[in-house]
Amino acid sequence: MFKFIKQYAETIDNVDVYPLISLFIFFIFFIVLLVLVKKMKKERVEILSNLPLENDELTNSNL
Amino acid sequence: MQVEKFYYDNSTVKNFAFATILWGGIGMLVGLWAALQLVFPQLNITQYGSFGRLRPLHTNAVIFAFVGNGIFMGVYYSLQRLCKARMFSDKLSSIHFWGWQLIIVGAAITLPLGLTQGAEYAELIWPIDLAITIIWVVFGWNMFGTIIKRREKHLYVAIWFYIATFVTVAVLHIVRSGQLPYSFLQSYSWYSGVQDALVQWWYGHNAVAFFLTTPYLGLMYYFLPKAANRPVYSYKLSIIHFWSLIFLYIWAGPHHLLYTALPNWAQSLGIVFSVMLIFPSWGGMINGLLTLRGAWDRVRDDVILKFMVVAVTAYGMATFEGPMLSLKSVSAVSHYTDWIVAHVHVGALGWNGMLTFGVLYWLIPRIFKTDLYSKKLASNHFWLATLGILFYAIPMYWAGIQQSLMWKQFTEAGQLKYTFLETVTYMKPFYAMRSLGGTLYLAGVFIMFYNIYKTVKKGKLVANEEAEAAPLVKEYVKHTGEHWHRVIERKPIQLMLLSLVVILIGGAIELIPTFMIKSNVPTISSVKPYTPLELQGRDIYVREGCYVCHSQMIRPFRSETERYGEYSKAGEFIYDKPFQWGSKRTGPDLAREGTGNLKKSDGWHFRHFREPSSMSEGSIMPAYPFLIEQNIDTSITAAKINAMRSLGVPYEKGYEKFANQDLMTQANGIRINLKIEGIEVPANREVIALIAYMQRLGKDISNNKTPTTNK
Repeated sequence: MFKFIKQYAETIDNVDVYPLISLFIFFIFFIVLLVLVKKMKKERVEILSNLPLENDELTNSNL
Repeated sequence: MQVEKFYYDNSTVKNFAFATILWGGIGMLVGLWAALQLVFPQLNITQYGSFGRLRPLHTNAVIFAFVGNGIFMGVYYSLQRLCKARMFSDKLSSIHFWGWQLIIVGAAITLPLGLTQGAEYAELIWPIDLAITIIWVVFGWNMFGTIIKRREKHLYVAIWFYIATFVTVAVLHIVRSGQLPYSFLQSYSWYSGVQDALVQWWYGHNAVAFFLTTPYLGLMYYFLPKAANRPVYSYKLSIIHFWSLIFLYIWAGPHHLLYTALPNWAQSLGIVFSVMLIFPSWGGMINGLLTLRGAWDRVRDDVILKFMVVAVTAYGMATFEGPMLSLKSVSAVSHYTDWIVAHVHVGALGWNGMLTFGVLYWLIPRIFKTDLYSKKLASNHFWLATLGILFYAIPMYWAGIQQSLMWKQFTEAGQLKYTFLETVTYMKPFYAMRSLGGTLYLAGVFIMFYNIYKTVKKGKLVANEEAEAAPLVKEYVKHTGEHWHRVIERKPIQLMLLSLVVILIGGAIELIPTFMIKSNVPTISSVKPYTPLELQGRDIYVREGCYVCHSQMIRPFRSETERYGEYSKAGEFIYDKPFQWGSKRTGPDLAREGTGNLKKSDGWHFRHFREPSSMSEGSIMPAYPFLIEQNIDTSITAAKINAMRSLGVPYEKGYEKFANQDLMTQANGIRINLKIEGIEVPANREVIALIAYMQRLGKDISNNKTPTTNK
């Protein structure tokens, strides 16, 4: 199976640029993640963090 | 809105809980036995009970049977409650449970029989690999079915950890199981040498990450707030914890291969990501511990919280140590030693073990609608387990560091100060102390057996627990400016796909270039395929689990090149399926066993296999007298040659027809050598094949005239 992929991938120019691309992806990913988490609303966080604590029986958060 | 009445399935939870306890006890017992074998080699009873076969049984049992069932117990309990829905299908739950137990039984039978793929934590043979794939899909199907028919809009963070576990373990298992079967039970790896090593440790490290860590973090995020009766310290932190952990973990594998023949750039990537891992890991630990803010006084009285606090603390210690061990200078000292054994046991006994016990003590009384039989016994268990961890870890840290220093010690005249055997005999008291730690820990588990048995007797299982909730409103109008993460929280499939993309990036960037760029593995013209006899011998080496104690990878340090010979080159391993670099030197490295100063006569090897201590006094290696009685299975030689050829090993076309003739010629040569040394043995015995393999090790590189290096 790898032979099949291999003949195409061997012809990729500058395959060593991969690590740089990965650094770039990594950086963007985390900046976006941090910004978005920072913007989360307090009430939502409250609801979410209380999910495990709701009584198992006879409860309903959708009511 | 009309509320719906439904029932939680507790009986599958109960089954998985009992299986966790049973397999945990067995797995740890095998571990204790293996530990004792290192102190008393006589305990290697018959070929089925030798260390090389039992150690994989121990690791597989603890990881996949104990922790595996623990994961499913926790997931089946918490997922239903977090989704306000019964598991999707009772039939799937049942297939999942019994299928997983059958796989474990299959492993417990095949591993002592020597049926193995010879890759750590991926030893199981291809038919079992296939069964694991099927059962894993059943688990995923059941889980996603439940999530889709849930009555709670939001997906709590624990569920994300379960989803990431499902998808990543699937990817890891499929890639690592790439193999070509050559018989009903056996196969050769698709990959060879350096590539096999990279796939192995990408898999091996992420088995730790996505089997021992992420699902248990999910359990921590559910059961710790439950036990403490307060919400998690910071939900925002848990989001960052989740994404950064799964993003970083997948890259870290190559830190198991520092200073080896793996290309340097891959080693560096592994180090960088391993060091960064400390942030999400400690973020998670802090989030867990701070959940108890304002409730620390309860930890004094509540044994369940005690277990959980030690578990989270052990998680913090192990994940601080991990990045440190990934630094090249630390790895130079710690790799191949018992330090690593200490490290993994802080994780396994501390993090996985203690969290499992905490969850069991919390969950069993609840599903049996009763109180725990004895808090006192649970408290005794806690102290035995905690002391057991200390008695295990401290001697192993001491031994590991001492071992490494002794390996590297030179005299003033510039010669190695200690023989390898001297460093082994030095270890014995530490191995004995470690067994004591293991005994204490196991004693705690037996107390738990009793306590849980009594609790179960006292209560009655609520097999179907009644609950009520309103159904989820199907039509959902997207509000403008809706929070981004909300979209993901509502949609499990998107969450799974995003997790998949995140984990594939790291894997792909490390694996693809190593496979694709030829210059990463410089070829050495003097390296030739194994002869049929050597190939058979190598397969015996794999079968006996020699890689558990012997490495075949000499790092470029003077202390190693002095002891073993020229350091290992990537090009040497191109025909090695599976690679056998090993990860631990309980015995010496064997990469240059057939050449240079290390070369011994055929007779030496014969006597050494028959009774190691007759040639090396004080050796703790098991004896292999059965190799002298058993015949080489020549009926399968042709199939092996054919399989190797299809995997790219350049045996000539039609060679399989003559392979057995060559095999017998070479075997007769060894038989004659042995006869000269006064040993009478038929040429078709397994020991002859293994001797042929030993004498081949390192020979190709010594015939090489042009200097080679690693990338």
